[in-house]
Amino acid sequence: MGVLLVVGTRKGLFLIRGDDERRSFEVEGPLLPGWSINHATVDPRDGALYACANSWVYGGTVQRSTDLGKTWQRSEGLGLPEDSELKLASTWHLEPGHASEPGTLWLGGEPAVLFRSDDSGESWQVNDGVLGHETRDKWNPGAGGLITHSITLDPDDAKRLWIGISAAGVFRTEDAGESWQAANQGTEACFFPEDPFPPVGQCVHKVLAHPGKPGRLWQQNHCGVYRSDDGGASWERLDTNGLPSAFGFAIALDPSDPDTAFVIPEESAENRVTCDGRLGIYRTTDAGASWDLIVAAEPAWAAVLREGMSFDDEAVYAGTQSGHVYVLRHDEVVEAARHLPPVLSIEASALA
Amino acid sequence: MAVVLLPGLLASEAGGRKRFEIEAATVGEALRGLPVADLVLDERGEVRPLVHLYLDGERARDLDAPVEATSRILIVAAIAGG
Repeated sequence: MGVLLVVGTRKGLFLIRGDDERRSFEVEGPLLPGWSINHATVDPRDGALYACANSWVYGGTVQRSTDLGKTWQRSEGLGLPEDSELKLASTWHLEPGHASEPGTLWLGGEPAVLFRSDDSGESWQVNDGVLGHETRDKWNPGAGGLITHSITLDPDDAKRLWIGISAAGVFRTEDAGESWQAANQGTEACFFPEDPFPPVGQCVHKVLAHPGKPGRLWQQNHCGVYRSDDGGASWERLDTNGLPSAFGFAIALDPSDPDTAFVIPEESAENRVTCDGRLGIYRTTDAGASWDLIVAAEPAWAAVLREGMSFDDEAVYAGTQSGHVYVLRHDEVVEAARHLPPVLSIEASALA
Repeated sequence: MAVVLLPGLLASEAGGRKRFEIEAATVGEALRGLPVADLVLDERGEVRPLVHLYLDGERARDLDAPVEATSRILIVAAIAGG
């Protein structure tokens, strides 16, 4: 089966169609010209395409297309209640809900907010548990703002999910969002040397739950790469097992192997460029005990943002801020696109 | 009826229309009558900071400013971004 890559860029949305072998690609776009697409995805339950489309003038929106980008409908009424004294600044990540809940969507945004829709995005309800979380006064914005950027579901239990907020950390709910517990034990806040392991305040860059092994989570953090085998109750640090740097943004998994993960380390928080003058994808196949390097491009001084990696059963996909899209399949890297605007996000879905 | 003129991105979101004629007594009423009102105004009904309004050639900041039947409201995106 071929792949449809939904690629959000700073200047519009692109659709890249790849063949069964992931060797030949066709680029369509830009769709939604003029909008900065922090994230876009196809809902596997009904094929609808969603985009977190943002404008520095007109704010944050969600756009929905049921014909793969030919026409769009914009969600209206997206905003924060007056008594919160907050306003929605931008939309960051849209996650289709559990297979057992058709029509349910989750949306993360700035400033550290979460919304839920039960009507495929026609209307949205802000999550009060996140908005009024007891630790909110200890959350601080990272370079991208105070953002809810990761939303990842338990494969079996529709009431259990995790969110990642920069810089607040990972939070878990087991009651479909009624309450949220911090899940940061063992992850370092290296920018707080006086208290490097606080309950909240960590700068998680991306957190993913493995789609086939309930309770196994991976995260790329500002201060390391971590794995959890107990649903985020504790984390084990993995970057010290052979990665060239603790710093990076994106992480990808292998649906068929919960011990496999991929990261793209960057030099440091102060120098956000891929390590050693090349675009290196580091892979572990032993749950993070060791890492091996696959060079996607060299020489290269690239950067892959937190939503800039995706995966399916066949391959891993990475898009750079310099507008290249690479595909890693069976240890071979193929360039799928070049000279796009800066890539903000990639999601892979099955090509119908 | 007041005429409201939209810049390109708003016009795209309004189905390709750049010009709207709206029965309105104030600038705010005219903007709220647009199909892209949610992009011009935030969730409090306030003008987004980088949206600039011009009423009959003069910068308009007050949504309660009265409009005439012959008024033209021009929406301009401020210089920003990259």
